[in-house]
Amino acid sequence: MFSIKLGFKNLTRQKKRNIITAMVIAFAFFSYLFMDSMMNGMEEMSFENIKNLETGDIQIAYPDYWEEKEELPLENLIYLDQDVEESLENIGGLSEISPELRFSANLNNGIDELPVMGLGIDPEHYEEVFTTGEYLVDDSMFSLGENKAVIGEKMAQLMNLKINDYITLLVRTKEDTFNTIDVEIAGLLHTPHPMVNAGTVFVPLDIAQQALNVGNSISLIAVKVKPGYEENITETLNQNFRRKDSNLRAYSWREAAETVIALSTAKKAGIGVILSVVLLIGIVGIINNVVLSALERTEEIGMMKALGMREMEIVSVFMVEATGIGIIGSLVGCLLGAVGVGWLVKYGFDISYAGDMTSYGIPILNRLYGVWNLSAFGFLFVLGIMVALLSSITPALWAARKDPVKAIYHR
Amino acid sequence: MSLMELNKVKKSYQQGKIEVPALRGIDLTVEEGEFTIVFGPSGCGKTTLLNMLGCLDTPTEGEICLNGRKISDLSKKDLAMTRRYNIGFIFQNYNLIPVLTAYENVEFALRLISHSSEKQIKEKVLKMLEEVGLKGLETRRPNELSGGEQQRVAIARALVKEPKIVLADEPTANLDSKTGIGVIKIMVKMNQELGATSIFSTHDPQIMKYAKRLINLKDGMISTDERRGRGV
Repeated sequence: MFSIKLGFKNLTRQKKRNIITAMVIAFAFFSYLFMDSMMNGMEEMSFENIKNLETGDIQIAYPDYWEEKEELPLENLIYLDQDVEESLENIGGLSEISPELRFSANLNNGIDELPVMGLGIDPEHYEEVFTTGEYLVDDSMFSLGENKAVIGEKMAQLMNLKINDYITLLVRTKEDTFNTIDVEIAGLLHTPHPMVNAGTVFVPLDIAQQALNVGNSISLIAVKVKPGYEENITETLNQNFRRKDSNLRAYSWREAAETVIALSTAKKAGIGVILSVVLLIGIVGIINNVVLSALERTEEIGMMKALGMREMEIVSVFMVEATGIGIIGSLVGCLLGAVGVGWLVKYGFDISYAGDMTSYGIPILNRLYGVWNLSAFGFLFVLGIMVALLSSITPALWAARKDPVKAIYHR
Repeated sequence: MSLMELNKVKKSYQQGKIEVPALRGIDLTVEEGEFTIVFGPSGCGKTTLLNMLGCLDTPTEGEICLNGRKISDLSKKDLAMTRRYNIGFIFQNYNLIPVLTAYENVEFALRLISHSSEKQIKEKVLKMLEEVGLKGLETRRPNELSGGEQQRVAIARALVKEPKIVLADEPTANLDSKTGIGVIKIMVKMNQELGATSIFSTHDPQIMKYAKRLINLKDGMISTDERRGRGV
């Protein structure tokens, strides 16, 4: 017990050095927590973009189509009949559905061509499931039956297009013959989703179905559900399809966004690297502190040994001192982190001055907001103390194993 | 009754490739309750001898016995335990812990050996500080005490655990002569009251007159060993 008391009292020696070491740890922890909040915020915004602008909460498609969906095939399409509609009725928590026909096309402005994804939609339903309409920066969405299109502002700039210009979409029909869709640009979009901005052409569903010669078929159905119902409804839909002997399957947005989630996991590995650097800073700081303390207190260590203190008792004095620094550093780091993250969550910071971040794949238009990750605070606090404790063992042992005679007489 | 016995104790240190002998064969018997002073010129082996007697160091040759138990072959851990329960040290530089008060510095030594109650520990520490004339200065830290007062704290720390033997390596070297004599008088008094065997090393002839036994070391060997009836 006295060793613990002495260890804590020793914290008042070399105050400046101890404070600097604790502050280095605190700053490293603050940086990590801030970065973690920012990355998680970006991830959350990225997932929201996927749900709100690309997939909806759930997508319904045939498994064969799903496997090939990146190729935008016109095979294995859903024929919208009574059975399908019945399967989607009376499901608690299901808000809206939006049929989509996805196809590959070449956009031609009369001079240049650009490969794009064509997206046939029913605007009335589409806007109930997706928030794309909120990002219309110029003019408006089309209605069914109109030979009009909506494209991203980025694409318009690239192809030198503006509102009311005409474009031609070169497509291949289901029978693999060439066809064209001639449409007038009705609106321009500027969304936080890079693919929507630069790679998608929205056209009325009926116009697309007619040009592609697919009848009343669609590629998939996007579904919006009440928050928290996603898993339950996916399961309910799949049960309904099985009951009706339908091959259709419901996929949660996570299954559609596997690549993004994998990237997000990779980003988290990046955070792990930052964490390692943070811990390394802590370890180096603590080891440096204990070694310097031991060198300064050589005679004192000799005296302790002369009094009959065992090595482990001397080690514990240094370990308690190092742990004290760890506790102070971790606590201050977490407090600073809480202030920083609180600010990031409430106010965010404006990144629009750096230009259009969506061009770099960052799913943010104006302000980047953080998210609270309380487990990171708890984890880091405990880890900081453990690291301080463990990293002090070796230098403390080195100090405690000094020959008592050499230590007392500082030889 | 003999407390410590040294038989043909030799100690040499390696300095690079050269072996430097510090003790060249010491035969010494220390009786219980003796107040012994070891003197001699610098480099004669006083500190090495005290380190051997204090179980801080082990001889290159020969054997040392404490209370009939051979200690020269003990492990580091056993030597530490022997020091903890049997030996009190007083150093030239006091070696007090600067972040602890006078009371806590003395308490520290007692806590290592004592499982007494808080009350008993407190009584014992306060009594010891009073004995060495530090009543009222218990809460002061070493930097708030004079050199003489610091050395008295060190004496209290060495004696509070009632060791069998108290070793002091030039305890008055950093003190003026008046303060030094004051410190020695306290140690003589404690020797008489507690009966702890005391062995000092010193250069100071003023101090030697307090010894009951005077050992003169020369070139790592005992040159004279004079027992007096009683010190001053």
